[in-house]
Amino acid sequence: MTRTLRMAEMTLRELLRRRGVLGLLLLVPLVFYLGRHDQPGQAIRFVSLGVGFAVSTAALFSAVGGREIESRLTLSGFRPRHLYLGRMIALLTAGLLISALYAVVVIVDQDVANPQAVALELVLTTLVAVPLGLLLGLAVPRDLEGSLLLISVIGAQMVIDPAKDAAKVLPFWSTREIITYAVDGAGSGSLVSGATHAVVVTALLVLASGGVMSLRLRRRTHMQFV
Amino acid sequence: MRYSARAEQQLGGTSGPSSGRDVLLHAHGIVKRYGRRRVLNGVDLVVRAGEVAAIVGSNGAGKSSMLKICAGLLAPDEGRVTVSGRLGYCPQNAGVMGFLTPREHFTLFGTGRGMGGRDADRRGRELASKLDWQVARGTLAKDLSGGTRQKLNVVLSALGDPDVLLLDEPYQGFDRGSYVDFWQNVWGWRDQGKAIVVVTHMLNQLDQVDHVLDLSPDKQEAGR
Repeated sequence: MTRTLRMAEMTLRELLRRRGVLGLLLLVPLVFYLGRHDQPGQAIRFVSLGVGFAVSTAALFSAVGGREIESRLTLSGFRPRHLYLGRMIALLTAGLLISALYAVVVIVDQDVANPQAVALELVLTTLVAVPLGLLLGLAVPRDLEGSLLLISVIGAQMVIDPAKDAAKVLPFWSTREIITYAVDGAGSGSLVSGATHAVVVTALLVLASGGVMSLRLRRRTHMQFV
Repeated sequence: MRYSARAEQQLGGTSGPSSGRDVLLHAHGIVKRYGRRRVLNGVDLVVRAGEVAAIVGSNGAGKSSMLKICAGLLAPDEGRVTVSGRLGYCPQNAGVMGFLTPREHFTLFGTGRGMGGRDADRRGRELASKLDWQVARGTLAKDLSGGTRQKLNVVLSALGDPDVLLLDEPYQGFDRGSYVDFWQNVWGWRDQGKAIVVVTHMLNQLDQVDHVLDLSPDKQEAGR
């Protein structure tokens, strides 16, 4: 536990010192939000996707940037799970702070039927975004490829009609479901299906990204310690 | 290339005469290919407690690959590595977190070694001072000079008292005094009974090491 928390502490310290990155993390959702400010449902959906994009990007760059040092840290006694969970905790902390900020902005600025659902939806978006960014960061050779993949995912999320079945395979499909409930006060089915989708996607992404990290940092079979 | 009587060529063959000390690192039959190019061709390396081995060779000869294979960071196509005790590895280029201070690095790496934060910080600063580096409190790793960042790498590899130290051209960017200090540290670690492997181009140090592994292609062929 000490190792996990130490990794989380150092990852968070490093992230908080990147002031330019922090500024952009805060700015991206705002730009998305203001672009559709006149349509409450769309504005909230876009700010959610903005939060998802910003947090995923931070996770992606954190994962790519940490590759060299993580292999050294495993030699120093860290296990892959310490490094993965530590990074996850740090990114979730930063992401949830951003989500909380935008939840306040939306609830104060917009007339929504169910403000708690907006807050829940932003939290779930962060939960999906962190392992999504980590997975992309761990699976691609460089951050450019990861960024392009992430842009493709977010772009597809914006243009594909959420009512289509195909949209359900996209990671942030839950945003529209829950926002419909939050803004229009639709039946609670939207909340349940949206939340379920977000939780399932998060679990799958955690399993996939954790698996890739374990594979990357595994002890090579030619090594024998006596 | 001339070596002193102490230096011992170890190419694809057996280890040198046993001194009765424990073998801490044994790489056996290491083969590594990149595409069709076979870089390491059945290389053996044995380093005992209290010994220093130097890995030399031309650019692209596989020196860093050999060290990464010994550290378990790279898988060979064939061969095995047996390590007795704990490993410390210093890469050729700085693998550090740019927005953390050196002292935060000491704490992080020390935690991995099971050290407390203060203990790791104290030990890190001690090791740094032996490389003629007084660690400033607030300077971030990204703002360190190239040589100082490399000193940070050396300190991190030695933190937690590893039994086997693998150092990949660790003195890049060092000034003359720091370079001398670095080798003094190496001899000190040898006296403490550690096994040390240094990738080096500095041939003037080879008469003081216990083994020399020359990975130049012609030497590897000759050793087979």
